[in-house]
Amino acid sequence: MEEDAIPDFCSKPALILGCGNVFFGDDGFGCALAEYLETHFDVPGSVCLLDAGTGVRKLLFTLCLSPVRPRRLLIVDAVDFGREPGEWFEIDPAEIPAVKLDDFSMHQMPTSNLLRELQQQTGVEVRVLACQTGPLPEQVCPGLSEAVRRALPHAAEWVEREYFGVPTLR
Amino acid sequence: MGKTVVIQPVTRIEGHAKITIQLDDAGNVNLARVNVIELRGFERFCMGRPVEDMPRITPRICGVCPWSHHLAAAKACDAVFGVEPPPAGAKLRELCNSIAYMEEHILHFYFLAGADFLLGPDADYSVRNVIGVLAAAPEVARRVVRVRHMCAKMLEILAGKPIHPQAAVPGGFSKPLAKDERDELRKMADEALELAKFSIAFAKENVFPKYLDVVKSLGVITSGFIGTVKDNGALNLYDGKLRLMGSDGSFDDFPYDRYTEYIGEHIEPWSYLKFPYAKKRGGFSLEDDAPGLYRANTLARINVCDFIDTPLAQAELEEFRRNFGRPAQLTLLYHWARLIELLYNAENAIRLLDDPDITSLETRVKVTPRAARGVGCTEAPRGTLIHDYTTDADGMITNMNLIVGTTHNNAPINLSVTQAAKSLIHDGKYDQGVLNTVEMAIRAYDPCLSCATHRLDGKMSVKLDIFDAEGALLDSLAN
Repeated sequence: MEEDAIPDFCSKPALILGCGNVFFGDDGFGCALAEYLETHFDVPGSVCLLDAGTGVRKLLFTLCLSPVRPRRLLIVDAVDFGREPGEWFEIDPAEIPAVKLDDFSMHQMPTSNLLRELQQQTGVEVRVLACQTGPLPEQVCPGLSEAVRRALPHAAEWVEREYFGVPTLR
Repeated sequence: MGKTVVIQPVTRIEGHAKITIQLDDAGNVNLARVNVIELRGFERFCMGRPVEDMPRITPRICGVCPWSHHLAAAKACDAVFGVEPPPAGAKLRELCNSIAYMEEHILHFYFLAGADFLLGPDADYSVRNVIGVLAAAPEVARRVVRVRHMCAKMLEILAGKPIHPQAAVPGGFSKPLAKDERDELRKMADEALELAKFSIAFAKENVFPKYLDVVKSLGVITSGFIGTVKDNGALNLYDGKLRLMGSDGSFDDFPYDRYTEYIGEHIEPWSYLKFPYAKKRGGFSLEDDAPGLYRANTLARINVCDFIDTPLAQAELEEFRRNFGRPAQLTLLYHWARLIELLYNAENAIRLLDDPDITSLETRVKVTPRAARGVGCTEAPRGTLIHDYTTDADGMITNMNLIVGTTHNNAPINLSVTQAAKSLIHDGKYDQGVLNTVEMAIRAYDPCLSCATHRLDGKMSVKLDIFDAEGALLDSLAN
C-alpha cells in the first residue's frame, strides 16, 4: 500500500491513545492526560498522540488490520481495580479482567481482545497506563476528581520518560 | 413457572444491550425485550453553554459516529444564527459525510455483520470476529482494509483530525480544500468506488443467495419508514426534507424543523431509551404493523426515496425494488440497502470532488448570536439524527432535544427480536446458534446504543430484572 494512503496513527513509530468519556468524571482521565501532554510537552515527530475519547475502537480496529503499524502502542485509560482513586500504574493487557472474553463490541473501550491480538499476533509492543477512578457519575458530569487530576503531571512525566526520549518539558 | 433466558451482551454492535427472553410454562417465547443503556443528562449539561460549542462537544457523545453529530450540530447552529453556508462550505460538509459513511458501512458489512454472513451464525464465538473474517476471506479483507485506511486518510486531509472532528463550524466549513488536495482525494475516491462496486457484486453472488431463507424469515416485521429526500424525492444523506412513510407506501413530507408535529416520543418503564412514533398516523403501540411504527437507517432511506441521483446506485435500487418491492420490509435487507448506500456515497464523493465549487475559498459566513430556535438534521449511518437547540440573545443554549438514529428503531428492534425468538425457540430448546441468530436481528439495524461509561475493565451499569409469566419479579441482577 502507498505510504500516503495510510493515516498517521498507523505510520508513526509510536502511538499514544488517551481513552475515555469526558462526560463522565474520572472516566475522562486518558483524554485529560493526552491534553496535558500536548500542552506541557513537545511531542516528538516520531510519536502520534491522540485524544481518542470514545472512538478508540475504530483506531485499534484499523491498526489491527493495517499492513503498517507503530512499533509501540500506549493506551491510557481509567480503570476500577479497587485501588485508591488517583493511583496510576501500568498493567499488562493480559491482566485486564476478561469481562467479555468473547466480545467483539468495538464500542467497548478499548477492547481487550484487540489489544491482545495486537500484542500477540502483530508484534506491536502494547502497554497500558491506567488510573484508578473515584466513583463515576450516573449522569453526564464532566471533570476529573481532585485525586485523579493530581495524578496528571506524574503520569505525564512517566509517558515523557518512556516515549519522548530526551526531556522536552516546555 | 416460566423461564427467562438472557443473552448479554449482544456482541459486535456499537454499545451495549441485553436481550431478555421470557418463556412461558411450555417453554415457548412469551416476550422478548431489548434493554439498552443511554447517555443520560447530556441535554442538561449543555444548558447555558454557547451554541457554537455544540459542533465540538456533540461528537463526544459517540466515538462511533462523530461526524453525524458534528454535522447535525453545525446545521442546527446555522439555523439558530439564521445563515446558510456558502456552496463550498455545504459541499465540504457533505463530502465528509459521504466519506464517513463509506468507512462505517464498510466496517459494518464486512466486520460487524460480516462475521454472521461469512462465517455463519453457528460458528464458534472464538472465530466469529474480525480475525475470523480475515482468515475466511483474506483477499477481500485486504481490499477492505486498504479502502478503510483511505477513508480515514481522506478525512484527515479534509478535516485535520481522524476523530473528534472540528472542521464544520456555524456558517460553513473552517478549512478550504486546496486543488492538490482535491486531486489526491479524487484518486482515493476512485478506489473507494471500485470497492463499493465489488462489495455489492460480491454480496449478491456469494452472501445474499446463501442466506436468502434467513433473510426472508429472520426478524421480519411490518412497519413504516423515515428518511431524508431532496425536494425532487432523491435520496440525500446530508440535507433535504424528512419523509415519513407508512407500511402501505403512502407518505408525508415535512421540513425537519417541524419534526415535533409528526414524531411523538413514548416512554416505557423498562427502557431508558424513548420510543418515537409517527403521531399523525396513530398512537404508540409495540405491535407489528402498528400505524405509528416506523424504522430508520439504511432500509428506511432506500424505501422512502423515489430514486437515487447517481447512476450505479440507481441501477442497484431498481434491481432491489424488482426483487423486494417498495417499501421492502425484510429486516435483513438492511444489509443489502447498506451496500446500495455505500455505492451512492462513493459516487457522491466523486461528484462533489469534481464540482468546481469544492475548492472555493469561500467556505463560511459570519454569524451573530441571537435568541432563536434552530433544528439541524442529517442522516446518520444508523438513522435520522435531529439536533434541536434554542438560544437566548447571547447565543447561550436554553433548551435542547436530540433524537439519535438508533432511537427511531427502538420499537422495531424489540419487535424483530421478539419475532426472531418466537420462530427459533420452541419447547424450551435452544443452543448457541439459535441465540446468536436472535442477535442477528438486532445487528441488522446496526444500533449505536450510546452507553454511559467505557472503562478499560469493561464495567458498565447494567441492571437486569427477571419476570415470570405472571409478571412477578423473580430476580434483579446488576454488575
